[in-house]
Amino acid sequence: MTRGGLSRAGVLAVVLAVLPLALPQHWVVSMLVFTVMYAALASSWNLIGGFAGYPSLGHAAFFGFGAYTVALIFPNTHNLSNGLLPFAILPGIAVVAGLIGLPIGAIAMRTRADVFAIVTITLLFVAQTLALNLRSLTGGAQGAGVAVPPFDVANFERPFYYAMAVLLLVAMGAGWYSQRSKIGLSLAAVRADEDKARGIGVHVTGVKLLAFSVSVGITAMIGGVWAYYVDFVYPQFAFDPLITIGMVLMAFLGGRGTLWGPVIGAVVLVPAQQYLAYELGGSQLYLIAYALVFLLIMRFLPRGILPTLTHLRRRRRLIAAADPAPRTAAAELGLAHDGQGGARV
Amino acid sequence: MSVLLEVEDLTKRFGGVTAVDGCSFTVDEGTVTALIGPNGSGKTTVFNLVTGCLPADSGAVRFSGREVTGMSPGRLYQRGLSRTFQQARVFPELTVLENLVVAGGWSFAGLFRQRVSRADRVRAAELLDEFRLDRVGDLLAAELSWGQRKLLEFAALLMSDPRLVLLDEPTAGVNPILIETMEAHIRARHAAGTTFLVVEHDMQFVMRLCDPVIVFDRGCPIASGTPEHVQSDPRVLDAYLGE
Amino acid sequence: MHTIIQGVILGILTGGVYALMAGGQTLIFGIMKVVNLAQGAMVILSAYLSYTLFTSAGIDPFLAVLITTPAMFCLGVAVQWLFLRQLRREDAAELSILVTFAIALAVEGVLSVVYSTSYRSINASYANTSFTVGGYQVSAVRLYAFLLSVGVLGLLYLLLHRTRFGRAVRATVQNPEAARLLGVEPARIRALGFGLGTATAAAAGSVFGLIYPFNAGSHYDLISQLLSVVVLGGLGSLGGAVVAGVIIGVSSSVVAVAWSPTWSQFTFFVVLLAVLLIRPRGLFGTVLRGAL
Ligand SMILES: Nc1ncnc2c1ncn2[C@@H]1O[C@H](COP(=O)(O)OP(=O)(O)OP(=O)(O)O)[C@@H](O)[C@H]1O
Ligand SMILES: [Mg+2]
Repeated sequence: MTRGGLSRAGVLAVVLAVLPLALPQHWVVSMLVFTVMYAALASSWNLIGGFAGYPSLGHAAFFGFGAYTVALIFPNTHNLSNGLLPFAILPGIAVVAGLIGLPIGAIAMRTRADVFAIVTITLLFVAQTLALNLRSLTGGAQGAGVAVPPFDVANFERPFYYAMAVLLLVAMGAGWYSQRSKIGLSLAAVRADEDKARGIGVHVTGVKLLAFSVSVGITAMIGGVWAYYVDFVYPQFAFDPLITIGMVLMAFLGGRGTLWGPVIGAVVLVPAQQYLAYELGGSQLYLIAYALVFLLIMRFLPRGILPTLTHLRRRRRLIAAADPAPRTAAAELGLAHDGQGGARV
Repeated sequence: MSVLLEVEDLTKRFGGVTAVDGCSFTVDEGTVTALIGPNGSGKTTVFNLVTGCLPADSGAVRFSGREVTGMSPGRLYQRGLSRTFQQARVFPELTVLENLVVAGGWSFAGLFRQRVSRADRVRAAELLDEFRLDRVGDLLAAELSWGQRKLLEFAALLMSDPRLVLLDEPTAGVNPILIETMEAHIRARHAAGTTFLVVEHDMQFVMRLCDPVIVFDRGCPIASGTPEHVQSDPRVLDAYLGE
Repeated sequence: MHTIIQGVILGILTGGVYALMAGGQTLIFGIMKVVNLAQGAMVILSAYLSYTLFTSAGIDPFLAVLITTPAMFCLGVAVQWLFLRQLRREDAAELSILVTFAIALAVEGVLSVVYSTSYRSINASYANTSFTVGGYQVSAVRLYAFLLSVGVLGLLYLLLHRTRFGRAVRATVQNPEAARLLGVEPARIRALGFGLGTATAAAAGSVFGLIYPFNAGSHYDLISQLLSVVVLGGLGSLGGAVVAGVIIGVSSSVVAVAWSPTWSQFTFFVVLLAVLLIRPRGLFGTVLRGAL
């Protein structure tokens, strides 16, 4: 890791650790839980949607899978002697979700990114329908209660907050690792030109499946923590298209395919969203607000915040450096003036 | 001289258009073979069939004695058969150096190694030097000119130490100085033992560099031989001038 | 056996409506390579428009088509012009999916604010009429809906194959660059094409409201159902969408009568997966592997 990267990671970890201690009010910590949750969701979505350029619209299916798994293993009739037990099964949930993701990813990613979006969004609705109709297992539309956490009321949110924070670090860690290994290089090639990448021996299928399966595994763990926190799961909230669009939106706002973009997106949007929900009440209005924000971003900031900044900085540096050294170097090579110059700046 | 690539009775139709029509030819090891022919005569399609980018309707491809019909482009690449595209295809958001490294052909386990390791750097540095791309190594490929991208695409596939390289119009849209550079690189690599099959419209380039020359018309070869022989063949003139 | 045949009849009639809804979607894909996730929301929006015209002005939904279709055409053109036109080319296909999804959510939000979330249905006087043909029940509403769908699809076919505009559209689909050289402006064609696709959603929406109760969230069900039809037919193939609409209509309605309506939902997904496994290009689509 570069020194800059290491210190940024350290700062993030410290900030995450002290935030709920510095701002202990319940409503603040509860907002922090959701902010960190969406940062983690957006970061894990980014593994496949950003780095690989396969925009999944079905991640909420895996979120709901994790949520229902926790609800079914620890139903509200269950008396939790140890409140940390539900957190302990999260890695198991991740593995199962990742394995389920393999065949789905294999089918969905065979052809093109648009087919992938089609399959994943259909998956979301199928999962929701399953949760509604397998009544004996899921309780159908009545939902399913989760065991009550035996945590101290004064700091009730803290365990959930820290669990989400750890998952955020896991998601960002996965992103960071992929970027500094050949996984990230392969994913970037896939994103730019998949056929060409295949043609030069990149393990396209393997690396896509790896990214997809890790991504949905982390998403499922987040769903598990969420279910335990909100204490009751309904099909329409566990498998909510709004969760899908939420993570996509945040990754886009901050900059997909960057490590910090999804976090920035979540930090900007989740408090705004909570404020809107508080001010406007009904979720219909914030549905509209969400959609409008998304449309505005796509209209005016399609690259997202971070890539736009990077792009500006890079361009400024190129312009500054262009006089005179590289130009003469290029001319010497006979490269600069061959007509169809291609810099896409 | 042994036969490195053998194409036998290859056919490909797109709807009503028969782009490649019962085409057979061979490429001998150690040659720079040219594939010329009028626009739309099926040269690029032959490349697509040989490298597995498109499935053939019928026919067979043999590479260094082995049947490779229908093999995936990635497998063929790893076996030493690689190609460039008429519209150069590089990864615009990777740096020039990374464009080389990504073409290095590593195993699945290699995915978990460092993005650009020191060994990668050493290996790529030779090619960057050879192609005089070392000064732009850290630029994004998107920031290169068209001609530089063509060079980069060529240089990158050399990372796999190919035995046979198919070049689709290496000089199209490239300035005269760079055409000479391209020619020099092909010669150097040829001298080092790589075999080439080159599609090209620039006849002077072909006559200087290639032997033998295969002339294509309407999806199959109509003549082949030395440049002089082909030039004096009346059928070739007909193909270019006639309908 | 009797119930199965009854199911098949029902399925063919419903399939026609699916074909109409999906026809617009596949048209939009063909022209602009946009997977339009807002198609379902547009259907629901025009179902609400018909509902309002029916309850407040007493206009029959089949007549309301004459009002909703042009209105939705304009909406479609506006949406394309405002939100899809400027997407950068390299990732337009990818981003447009998200943009249209956001549009769907915005429409859903507006509808649930205006009409609340309770279910509505359009109860025309003939809503419960049915004919008996050879011992089989044929509901009048569904029959009319089917006929309307066939009619609109027929018009669409004529528009694409017998008019200058249609030729320009097809030229743009095959080769935008060449079309531009021939004086066709692809940007205009795209906007009009999106409008046209949305207009078919409008026609379908009016009859959708007659057949099914709906609320603002109903478009979610439509998204996956329409996508299955479109993928089965082959992305971009109008004829394929018609055949696929009927196939899926029949199979889901047979599943509904033979097992249970809840599982008929899954017919769509099973069909979708099967198609992607066996024949990813769909029944009539072409596969492109980017070999240039
Ligand atoms: N993917 C495709 N779909 C349909 N037709 C195609 C396709 N690829 C090529 N063709 C057609 O096949 C014929 C041969 O094309 P090809 O590109 O192989 O010619 P070429 O010899 O490379 O021409 P040029 O010198 O212009 O590059 C042409 O008529 C072309 O229109
Ligand atoms: Mg060609």
